[in-house]
Amino acid sequence: LFVFSPVAHPLTEEGQALMSIKASFINMADVLHDWDDVHNDDFCSWRGVLCDNSSFTVISLNLSCLLLGGEISPAIGDLRNLQSIDLTGNKLSGQIPDEIGNCADLTILDLTDNQLYGDIPFSISKLKQLEFLSLKMNQLTGPIPTTLSQIPNLKHLDLAQNKLIGEIPRLLYWNEVLQYLGLRGNMLTGTLSPDICQLTGLWYFDVRGNNLTGTIPESIGNCTSFEILDISYNQISGEIPYNIGFLQVATLSLQGNRLTGKIPEVIGLMQALAILDLSENQLVGPIPPILGNLSFTGKLYLHGNKLTGPIPAELGNMSKLSYLILNDNQLVGRIPNEIGKLELLFELNLANNHLEGSIPHTISSCTALNHFNVHGNQLSGSIPLSFRSLERLTYLNLSANNFKGSIPTDLGHTINLDTLDLSSNHFSGHVPASIGYLEHLLTLNLSHNEFDGPLPAEFGNLRSIQIIDMSFNNLSGTIPPEFGQLQNLMSLVLNNNDLDGKIPDQLSNCFSLTSLNFSYNNFSGVIPSMKNFSRFSAESFVGNPLLCGDWLGSICRLHIPK
Amino acid sequence: GVAAELVQSRVEEKRSRSRGPGSSPPSCKSKCGWCSPCDPVHVPVQPGFIIRLEYYPEAWRCKCGSKLFMP
Repeated sequence: LFVFSPVAHPLTEEGQALMSIKASFINMADVLHDWDDVHNDDFCSWRGVLCDNSSFTVISLNLSCLLLGGEISPAIGDLRNLQSIDLTGNKLSGQIPDEIGNCADLTILDLTDNQLYGDIPFSISKLKQLEFLSLKMNQLTGPIPTTLSQIPNLKHLDLAQNKLIGEIPRLLYWNEVLQYLGLRGNMLTGTLSPDICQLTGLWYFDVRGNNLTGTIPESIGNCTSFEILDISYNQISGEIPYNIGFLQVATLSLQGNRLTGKIPEVIGLMQALAILDLSENQLVGPIPPILGNLSFTGKLYLHGNKLTGPIPAELGNMSKLSYLILNDNQLVGRIPNEIGKLELLFELNLANNHLEGSIPHTISSCTALNHFNVHGNQLSGSIPLSFRSLERLTYLNLSANNFKGSIPTDLGHTINLDTLDLSSNHFSGHVPASIGYLEHLLTLNLSHNEFDGPLPAEFGNLRSIQIIDMSFNNLSGTIPPEFGQLQNLMSLVLNNNDLDGKIPDQLSNCFSLTSLNFSYNNFSGVIPSMKNFSRFSAESFVGNPLLCGDWLGSICRLHIPK
Repeated sequence: GVAAELVQSRVEEKRSRSRGPGSSPPSCKSKCGWCSPCDPVHVPVQPGFIIRLEYYPEAWRCKCGSKLFMP
């Protein structure tokens, strides 16, 4: 009589391969506990394993984001019918095994965001069915294998954010099916080959942040399939060629190179541009008024060049513009009234130019404005009353100009402000109490102006404030005890004013206070000796002849009760 | 001047090309199947991990309701 007892079936070769793969993982969270040949030999039911319905062979392995450590076992090459491997977002280290080249049916290989190191194995080039290859965000070294160009169906190649060296293999550019080439964030050298325009199917070309040199090839105009061209942060030199105007790109990112010469007028005809970034180069000459034709462009970055001449009024026609970033150039003249036509403008940065005149009242129409920075120009006049309609402002920087007049009380209604910097101007009058109601304010800098009158007690309501700098003004009166409510205040700078009276004991409740300067005022009495106040040295208090403190040389040191 | 320079360049280019320089957003005409209206929009393309303050590159797609289509 035969008695059947449950005997584990010997695993097939594929089941054994999966167990080997599991064994080389470090599976700390035990996410692969059901990969267990003793209790469940149906490996097609194991987590992340997908089998073919009829042949019961493994066709897909999806183990993304499972915190897996360890290495990829060479046994992966025994899964001959694999079509897709997805191991993204784990902590896998070690090298990519050569045996992966045995998975001849592989169409998708995604090892994004691991800690794989070593060279890209040449054996990957044996994967003739491969359409999608992403090794992005690993520690891979060595060159890009030229043999990758032998993968006939490769549509998506992403090797970004590794440590790859050498040149981009020119043969890669002769791939007619390649649609996506991501190489950003490596250490690639060499030049941009004229061959890049052989990539007739390519829409995404990204070599940002490498060490590429040479010029933009004249033939760039033939790259008419490109939608995104990002060659930013390399060492590309020479002028921007006229032929760039033949591109159909939505994003043109050339920033952070060594480009010289003028901005070509032809760029003003590229109305498909959503983003134009020419910043941080060595471009000279004026901003071409024809750029105002770019009525579909949302982001224009020209900062950090040597651009001269005025801000063209025509830029007011860029009705979709949300970012207009022109800082750190040598622009002259006035801020054009036409800026007010930019109803979607989110950030306007004109800092560090040679602009003069006043801020146009039309700015009040830019109701979406969030960041406004004109630091370091020669702008004059007063803060326009129309600023009251800029309710979305979070960052306002008018510092280092020739502005005068008082702060309008209404500025206290700009309730979202986190930074208000009016320093180094000729502002005068009393600081309005309404500033104390800017409950989101983190930084308030009114230093180096001509403000007088008292410190508003309402400042005690600035519950988020971290930095208050009101030094080098003519402020008088005492420090309101309400300042003691400022629990996030790290820096309180009030030096070189006419403040007097006793330093309120309540200030020792400001637990975050690490930087303090009360020097060169007329404070009197004894410095609070408790808690955090003992950390501030004499430099914080010098120039107050009537002030007594517990430091060497203080005139009343001996009179302080111990 | 500038315009003349441009025109001259464009004429020169036209000799060797069928089309002059310049581009425009996709028209999106009949790119959304039966769905309408079908309008061109900018969509961000995420190139992987990037610093928060950087912008994503953008491409044009055709949009109808909440659905995107290739132009």
